Amino acid sequence: MYDTAKLGTDVNQNETKISARNVQVYYGDTHAIKDVNVDIEAKSVTAFIGPSGCGKSTFLRCINRMNDTIDVCRVEGDIQIDGEDIYDKRVDPVQLRAKVGMVFQKPNPFPKSIYDNIAYGPRIHGLAKNKAELDEIVEKSLRRGAIWNEVKDRLHAPGTGLSGGQQQRLCIARAVATEPEVLLMDEPCSALDPIATAQVEELIDELRDQYSVVIVTHSMQQAARVSQKTAFFHLGNLVEYGDTSQIFTNPKDERTESYITGRIG
Amino acid sequence: MTDASLPNTAGAPKSGSLHEVDARTKKRNAAEKRFRMYGVAAIATGIIFLLVLLFAILSNGLGAFQQTFISVPVYLDEAKLDKKGNRNIDDIKKVSTFGYNPLIQKAVLKAVEDAGIETPLKKSKNMKALISASAAAQVRQAVIDNPALIGQTVEFRFLASSRVDGYLKGRVHRELLARDKNIDAEHLDIVDGLKEVGVVKKSFNPAFIFGADASESRAEQAGIGVSMIGSLFMMLVVLFLALPIGVAASIYLEEFAPKNRWTDLIEVNISNLAAVPSIVFGILGLAVFIQFMHLPQSAPLVGGLVLTLMTLPTIIISTRASLKAVPPSIRDAALGVGASKMQSVFHHVLPLAAPGILTGTIIGLAQALGETAPLLLIGMVGYIASNPPGGVVEGLMSPNSAMPAQIYEWAKRADPAYYERAWGGIIILLIFLVSMNTLAVLLRRRFERRW
Repeated sequence: MYDTAKLGTDVNQNETKISARNVQVYYGDTHAIKDVNVDIEAKSVTAFIGPSGCGKSTFLRCINRMNDTIDVCRVEGDIQIDGEDIYDKRVDPVQLRAKVGMVFQKPNPFPKSIYDNIAYGPRIHGLAKNKAELDEIVEKSLRRGAIWNEVKDRLHAPGTGLSGGQQQRLCIARAVATEPEVLLMDEPCSALDPIATAQVEELIDELRDQYSVVIVTHSMQQAARVSQKTAFFHLGNLVEYGDTSQIFTNPKDERTESYITGRIG
Repeated sequence: MTDASLPNTAGAPKSGSLHEVDARTKKRNAAEKRFRMYGVAAIATGIIFLLVLLFAILSNGLGAFQQTFISVPVYLDEAKLDKKGNRNIDDIKKVSTFGYNPLIQKAVLKAVEDAGIETPLKKSKNMKALISASAAAQVRQAVIDNPALIGQTVEFRFLASSRVDGYLKGRVHRELLARDKNIDAEHLDIVDGLKEVGVVKKSFNPAFIFGADASESRAEQAGIGVSMIGSLFMMLVVLFLALPIGVAASIYLEEFAPKNRWTDLIEVNISNLAAVPSIVFGILGLAVFIQFMHLPQSAPLVGGLVLTLMTLPTIIISTRASLKAVPPSIRDAALGVGASKMQSVFHHVLPLAAPGILTGTIIGLAQALGETAPLLLIGMVGYIASNPPGGVVEGLMSPNSAMPAQIYEWAKRADPAYYERAWGGIIILLIFLVSMNTLAVLLRRRFERRW
């Protein structure tokens, strides 16, 4: 009911933000992602679902080239953001990652103050000319992360002292502080309790008006609640991709149906 | 029914009462008890050895911090020290220590007569055995510093000879004097008498901690201070070379280097280097730094370079371990907001690894501080009685010894007075090592971060 209400407003948002063509990923000799083609829309939430080891996180990490840090990992094919190939030789992954923010499975704030956690990205990218501007960015990001009211009185307390849910929202705030256009979230709620999960999901829904959000999740309910589009991965293949409502109510592939109904996975 | 289905001929229930311990459990419990006892016994043995060691070091070595002094007024005879009477400093300097000896011996004889001690030793020459050979130099220096003293009677505090010192410390026994050519029983009678009137006194001897080494025949004068400075300069060299090189190498190997056959080979070799006997580094230093690069022998610079080679593997291994201990999620977080590899390492990983790196470095330094074998080969072990260096360059380049080398040198000398000084030197060395290790523990406690 929650998701269908949202779906009605999405009709006019069909602009493609990320487009992947024939993407193959190899870990050494293992063929982890096989021929994935997908178009991810701007200003919407796309969920990647599938059983463990199906390659959804691997594919997510291709979008901001985090896989570059793994020596044995090799990516083939074509991934474009706004029509630009991100694996082009001219692309510096550092710039790409400022444009494509990432939130990880386990909340991983820096062991520094809350303020410094947020300010780090803008500082290294030179987004603020002076302290006042930086303060402004920090406040704006923490508000976007829906955590401002909880931390505004202790900005200089360590970020690691927050609760798990707060830490994850701090990490989301940190990711939006560099003004990205795409936000990648790798199972952002898997380490959180249901209340914190609800808060983060609500936040994801709010983020949709500015960013394209791609979220990997193990929870089909979560995918149904927060996303407009859903992609189902199985054994490295993108099996089915479509509107969330269609995937969950009327899947075309029988593997999707089996997974959704709990027969495989 | 149960009896029929089970092959239990006794007919008893299979599991006994919980209140009775069965034989198998008893055996297991006994084995566990034995194992605990082995452990306790092992630790107890260790503690006993430690206590014996500490007792031996303290009982043998504490004496070195005290020395016997003889305080006598010396008449600085103008006729001997300044024949022309014009107080010309150049003429005064021409009088060698031989010229001062009679004055000192006369002064001691006078003190003996004043104390009313009955002795067959009536000549001032007989007093030579009581006073350290360093006394003449001490008086000469005082006169050169202040020629106005000539003609006056000045109170001096001389080191007693090592035999007198040994007598007061219980090292020299009257029964064994027959074999000793340096001192006679009559001398010891004098010492007893002078001790009663307070002319001969044992007191704390700062010269042992701050002074330079002395020759075989002047054990009472020898100090560990100059070799301590040698050790200090070597440690500075080690710190300024091994820390940056070691940390840079570790960061490169751990964070940047590709994982391939070459880096594997380097890794294995670094681990092996940590186990190479230190004397091998000594001969390497001899070949490279002295024979090939022609750096001066016996110089703390060369010693520091050799110890740097020896300490590097330790620092690299501990630095890599502390870099590995930083959770990868921190690196991901930094890369995720668009930090470059180097920014993620220097802004996040390195500060978190710093306590571990510092601890490893201090332990490595402590290891280097106690190392003797490599110094043998570059000429830092031996009789090096240099004065304290005047500056950093001289400190690095002029011949010096190091604390453990000095201890070794003392321990192998014939005079038993040096035996005591070797133990005393070990006390000082141990104080340094214990304080460095304490510092390492404190740093780790203070800065260690838990995730």
